[in-house]
Amino acid sequence: MSQVDLPPTLRWLPALNDPALAAAWSLPEWDTVVRTARRLRLLARLAETLEAAGQLQAVPAPAQRLLRAEMQLSRWRTTITVWALQRVGAALADGGYPVVLLKGGAYLGQDLPIARGRLPSDLDILVPHRHLAAAQRRLADWGWEETPMDEHDQRYYREWSHEVPPMQHPVHPVELDLHHNILPPVARTNVDADRLLQRLRPSRWAPWSVFDPADQMLHSASHLFLDAEPRDRVRDLVDLDGLARHFGQRDGQINDNFWAGLADRSRELGLQEPLAQAVHFMQRWFDTPMPEAFVRQVQHAGPGTLRRAWLHPLMARVLTPTHPDTLPPWTQDFAATVVLARYHRNRLPLHLLLPHLWRKWRMRQRAEADPAAPAPEAP
Amino acid sequence: MTGAHASVPAAPRLADVSTAQVADALRGRGLWLDVGAASVRARSDSPFLAPQLQRAYPEFPYVDEAPWADVHVALMRARGLRRWLRPQVRLQADGREPFQPFPADHPLPMMEWGGNLFIGQRLNQLLLLHAGVVERDGLALVLPAVPGSGKSTLSAALSLSGWRLLSDEFGALDPHTRHFMPVLKPVALKNRSIDVIRAFSDRAVLGPTFEKTRKGDVAHLAASAHAVARRHETARPGAVVLPQWQEGAPLSFERLPAESAFRALAFNAFNYQTVGAPAFDAAVALARQCPAWALRYSRLDEALAALEQVWPEVKDRAAAGGSA
Repeated sequence: MSQVDLPPTLRWLPALNDPALAAAWSLPEWDTVVRTARRLRLLARLAETLEAAGQLQAVPAPAQRLLRAEMQLSRWRTTITVWALQRVGAALADGGYPVVLLKGGAYLGQDLPIARGRLPSDLDILVPHRHLAAAQRRLADWGWEETPMDEHDQRYYREWSHEVPPMQHPVHPVELDLHHNILPPVARTNVDADRLLQRLRPSRWAPWSVFDPADQMLHSASHLFLDAEPRDRVRDLVDLDGLARHFGQRDGQINDNFWAGLADRSRELGLQEPLAQAVHFMQRWFDTPMPEAFVRQVQHAGPGTLRRAWLHPLMARVLTPTHPDTLPPWTQDFAATVVLARYHRNRLPLHLLLPHLWRKWRMRQRAEADPAAPAPEAP
Repeated sequence: MTGAHASVPAAPRLADVSTAQVADALRGRGLWLDVGAASVRARSDSPFLAPQLQRAYPEFPYVDEAPWADVHVALMRARGLRRWLRPQVRLQADGREPFQPFPADHPLPMMEWGGNLFIGQRLNQLLLLHAGVVERDGLALVLPAVPGSGKSTLSAALSLSGWRLLSDEFGALDPHTRHFMPVLKPVALKNRSIDVIRAFSDRAVLGPTFEKTRKGDVAHLAASAHAVARRHETARPGAVVLPQWQEGAPLSFERLPAESAFRALAFNAFNYQTVGAPAFDAAVALARQCPAWALRYSRLDEALAALEQVWPEVKDRAAAGGSA
């Protein structure tokens, strides 16, 4: 813990790698940890870590009950996700093009330690762009339905996005997100998807492939640091740390080859900045084992000193959860707004962005003016 | 597994503490309500909540410090212009405001609604049937039903007629011990049920009536001192009765086959799928073990008399099952 510089509300995070640390927590400490971890979708992850270490039964009874309950929920969500993934795999099996599991699905498809307790919410998959329409048709034949949306939103997805509108199925309680790239092709930071497709490896379930491990890390990093809403997204950092510990070590030693390859790959794909941000937080918050030379190299290739001076504190502000008894302060709202502006600026060129934001703003105004406000929904 | 952590034996009743003291606790560290299988910590800056809680939870111990709660909610007055123009109250849970606000003088219905929702989402170590549960002779009478069937009204009437209330909403079954655990919240009575229960018994302690909520008018029947004192005592399965209130209907009380009871228990549950195989096993065991009836009624006294009449059979069957 000594090299780690964690904000007070995240002091429990090291227990995800070293569950013995949890043995010292009092019941009031558990109370706050359970609430914070639940909000960050990390409660089942913590429970599975303790269970695997044989330490769950030592947790004070009230906390242990909720840990087991969340573990139950996560296992059920995992079961239905794997089932949906197998049915979607069957639908797309003989198309003659690669089908790729992304993120949580990929972690399950490789049986990675971080997949256990990762409370899945939706299923993210990728096919080559030139086969996108065929995949959509096939999925429609198998009962997957696109979320109805107006023409503007349809056009947004069709022309500017890296995915098609989310799909639902009457039998599968899982949302399916079909991608053809990991970042919007019109964004300032974009990626040539063919380069990712050239380095696929098989998952444990045919016909599914997964990205090369370095690409999995770069995808996770760019997803977090180039996304619109990084609040409460510490889980993405937990994923990155978990990927790094799994792929970046061999026989308990740091695997220098992996890290050198990752640095090269970030240059090739133009993702040095999100990688540098990920490395910053992995080092500060997780003490992730990484070669010093790699860290220096990535920091050198990442944002310059001036840019680092505001970018890292900005992200830290947005990623740090407040104490569960308090709502986020205005400083976090402000930081989140800056991140959102940066996201929009990166995602769409100004001549597309301004009309889009104008339209969204007007729709929000209309919704707020509508006296028949929508009924409250469960979270 | 009794969750006795939040109760302090010597604590005074919530009804016996001054409203100012309750309000102070709500503004400070909070007020802890141990309802049996779960505990709730409430905080609030609303002047309305303290007296409402005292009327809905009068028999619960006043606890203003405890090391743990399963559910934390804060009912906070909406700020800004909202304070003056159509004032509202918001529910904060673990640093979020997941719901639309309620009118400022309705913090209790919002707390009950939000709190029940969180309990239903979180207690996946238990099979949470959507059912009222009352107990007599150590045996649970389970009333699974869809909203509008009058399960809350019937649970309320039974709780005023010598039965111990465990819950009007959650049939919290431990899938391993196969015992029911209390989730002892005030019974939320809606619309005409409010006057029905008031007329049914002069021992009914009702909180204020909240008009024009999303579910119509709502008033809360407080749990009795007896039910509160025994809120960590479980009950073995006794019988399953599917109630259906229908205006003017003559009493109909018909034996149901086990598979009908199973469907009513399993497919209305909050977390049947989440709990998985242990939930299936528990629901099957429950349906096999308990005699089941469909009860259609318009008059509470007739419904209660019908239940009285079959209860000896329920006891005999439980005794036989216990010795077999």
